[in-house]
Amino acid sequence: MIRGRVVGEVWATRKAPGLAGRRLLLVGVEGEDRALVAIDTLDAREGEAVMVSVGSGARNVLEPGPDNRALLCDAAVSLIIDGEG
Amino acid sequence: MFLAKVIGSVWSSVKWPELGGMKLLLVRPYSLADLGGAPAAAAPTHDGVVCADVLGAGVGEDVIIAYGHAARVAVSELLPDGARPSVPIDAAVVAIVDRYAVTDASS
Repeated sequence: MIRGRVVGEVWATRKAPGLAGRRLLLVGVEGEDRALVAIDTLDAREGEAVMVSVGSGARNVLEPGPDNRALLCDAAVSLIIDGEG
Repeated sequence: MFLAKVIGSVWSSVKWPELGGMKLLLVRPYSLADLGGAPAAAAPTHDGVVCADVLGAGVGEDVIIAYGHAARVAVSELLPDGARPSVPIDAAVVAIVDRYAVTDASS
């Protein structure tokens, strides 16, 4: 997983059918000058610290189980960080 | 996935058969610093990525690119249920961006 902070949101009308209805967030990667576009199901807000699951694991955020290979997802917000010590 | 700007196209006559007819674009990912500026003025600075496109994106448009299995799913969504994508690509355009909003790129 990748730690990051929600910095914005992206909207698109023309997209692959597999992305229909998905909320897409821009997440700045902690300590790096790059941003991910991640699918959000947790209603994360701008400025919040989050963890993003990438690759095959990201599909399990949307639909856990072995039959999710048809999902279009390579990055998804998997948790919102409350605090850390 | 990541946000990028289409900066050109790539064509080839010698290629894997499954790539026949597939449009290939050259895109440049936006860095966090690029996104922090005014969207209209931001110019992406990262190295380019070649990706497949079935949505018809054009040069100058902002797009979302997916990597790996998700990219193959995106270009193969007309496959019958259960069929596995066989196209040899690892990056594809999955959306053509209408707009994006960044309010907090600095922290």
